Amino acid sequence: MDNREVILDIQDLHARFHTQDGVVHAVNGITYQVHAGETLGIVGESGCGKSVSMLSVMDLLAKPPAEVQAEAILFKGEDLQHFSQAEMRKVRGSNMTMIFQDPMTSLNPVLTVGFQIKEPLKLHLGMSDEEATKRAAELLELVNIPEAENRLSDFPHQFSGGMRQRAMVAIALACNPTLLIADEPTTALDVTIQAQLVELVKGIQAKLGMALIWITHDLGVVAGLAERVIVMYAGFVVEDAQIDELYGNPLHPYTLALLKSLPRLDQRKEEALATIEGLPPSLLERPQSCPFEPRCEFAKPKCKESNPLLEAVGPDHKIACWVDIKTGELR
Amino acid sequence: MARYIFRRILQFIPVLIAISLFTFVLMQAIPGGPFDFAGDRSLPPTIVANLEAKYHLDWPMWKQYLSYMIGDDILGEEGGSRGVIRGDFGPSYHFRGQTVADIIKITLPVSAQLGFMSLLLAIIIGIPAGIIAALNQNSWIDYTTTFGAVMFVSIPNMVLAPILIWIFALILGWFPVAGWGAKPPYLLGFLPTALNKEFFSHAIMPVFALGTGSAAGIARLTRASLLQVIGEDYIRTARAKGLRERAVIVIHALKNSLIPVVTILGPAFAALLTGTFIVEQIFGINGMGKHFVTSVGNRDYQVITSVTLLYAVVLVIANLVVDITYAWLDPRIRYD
Repeated sequence: MDNREVILDIQDLHARFHTQDGVVHAVNGITYQVHAGETLGIVGESGCGKSVSMLSVMDLLAKPPAEVQAEAILFKGEDLQHFSQAEMRKVRGSNMTMIFQDPMTSLNPVLTVGFQIKEPLKLHLGMSDEEATKRAAELLELVNIPEAENRLSDFPHQFSGGMRQRAMVAIALACNPTLLIADEPTTALDVTIQAQLVELVKGIQAKLGMALIWITHDLGVVAGLAERVIVMYAGFVVEDAQIDELYGNPLHPYTLALLKSLPRLDQRKEEALATIEGLPPSLLERPQSCPFEPRCEFAKPKCKESNPLLEAVGPDHKIACWVDIKTGELR
Repeated sequence: MARYIFRRILQFIPVLIAISLFTFVLMQAIPGGPFDFAGDRSLPPTIVANLEAKYHLDWPMWKQYLSYMIGDDILGEEGGSRGVIRGDFGPSYHFRGQTVADIIKITLPVSAQLGFMSLLLAIIIGIPAGIIAALNQNSWIDYTTTFGAVMFVSIPNMVLAPILIWIFALILGWFPVAGWGAKPPYLLGFLPTALNKEFFSHAIMPVFALGTGSAAGIARLTRASLLQVIGEDYIRTARAKGLRERAVIVIHALKNSLIPVVTILGPAFAALLTGTFIVEQIFGINGMGKHFVTSVGNRDYQVITSVTLLYAVVLVIANLVVDITYAWLDPRIRYD
């Protein structure tokens, strides 16, 4: 078990969107903890609720149409749900920060990079412009942008995609956060730049010791980065395990299928990659059965009758499945 | 930037030459001439011929055009014209004894006052109305503003002006029916010397009639633009920093949302300029627009061509100012 302090404790989080087509159940009661300094990977396909769950925690969803409910969202022991707008703003951007998927559109095109890095410094740490400029240059240096001091007066369009994402990291690190949430930060970057960014964030985390939640649909990125991985499907957490355990001993059929679909170096060229047949379920109805049942190769009649809850199957290993995939029988 | 402005100014020259040539030729192509009538009576042909000879209307058209543009001495002809290039717009055929420059000096300030106040009204009402509507999207404030904007965009000023006169001048008696409240001499050549009740009571209705259409257009565009910007990723980034909602809007959203608004200020300015023709006519204001329209009926060639050229100059300068403002608002735009 992890003995480090729990800094984020999400209990039974639901997020729904009220749309013209009906209510979209994006997140359907997820529970997990993040420990201080831990790196947690959240994987799942598009629309499985990984980003929405994090935006709910940050209180960044527009309400309406979004509606967020949870038993508790404890950040450093305090329930964020009871925070006023002003209290939430103090946490957001200082203690808990977030970087987003598309660096090309996440920085304001008409403000200089320096201005945008200095904003949280002045807001949360009360720095003067001079102090903030000095600190902003240090931050840009920290994220490996050469000639950092001169580049503060640049506009985002003068930065490359990788540099912009690094500038976003600098903004997120400005106030020494306890928790950094990275929402698919490498998806819009090409592979070599992806690797650079992953290495950079890893190095900074080792130096500053903040906890990191890395949302991605790239199992390869997670393998090299995370200590623990959560697999999400259709708004549910279906597996939660330490990294070695998850890759070496996946116990949920969906995780197994995902891992099978990865290209392998020892695979023969002619061999087709394994795919998962079918599509994820519509989120307009809250499923009563297991949401993965229609696509699952291990499906049993019971899977149609009720939706399995997340439960421990070993030390630090939880799954939401009725079936023991090793035997193919009900557990 | 200086090079860009210089190049743009150089580009004005062919544009202005083309405009003057077109206007000159088109006017002469219309049947009739400036000396067909004196009052209600038609003039005997011999007198017409004498007058035409005096003003060189018997010359071939290319020679008349060159005389007007560059002056008689360069052409090597007898005559007093020093040409547009040296600031001589020639005499008026209709108001004999007055030069075109005299007419412009009297009427342009009035039109400029009317036009600028209308533009100011359009900006002062349009941009805040659009912002308020966008920030209260889908509330009754938004619906009221949008309804008002659609209404005022749809009512042309030739309809709005008589309605205003009927209600506010004839029924309520709040404002004078017609006229303008400032007289020469003007400050700096175009500003009214006294901003008193006399000035504003005359100005309110024509400025309103002229400016509301543009105000409504600007309001609609500002609303749409701000709503689009609020949905951008960088607004989420700003919120994720923990900024107050007001700071998010003022620092991160407004400047971006005004970029498209600035780009339509050029055309809006053009609409106000041409709008003055009608509004000055309806309110009996002795402005350049009114003179322009009557001079077409009078075949007052020099006035028509000169005023057209003046409008063209104002428009190209307005568009240049818009382009420079655009570069200032959006650092991604660089001219070189």
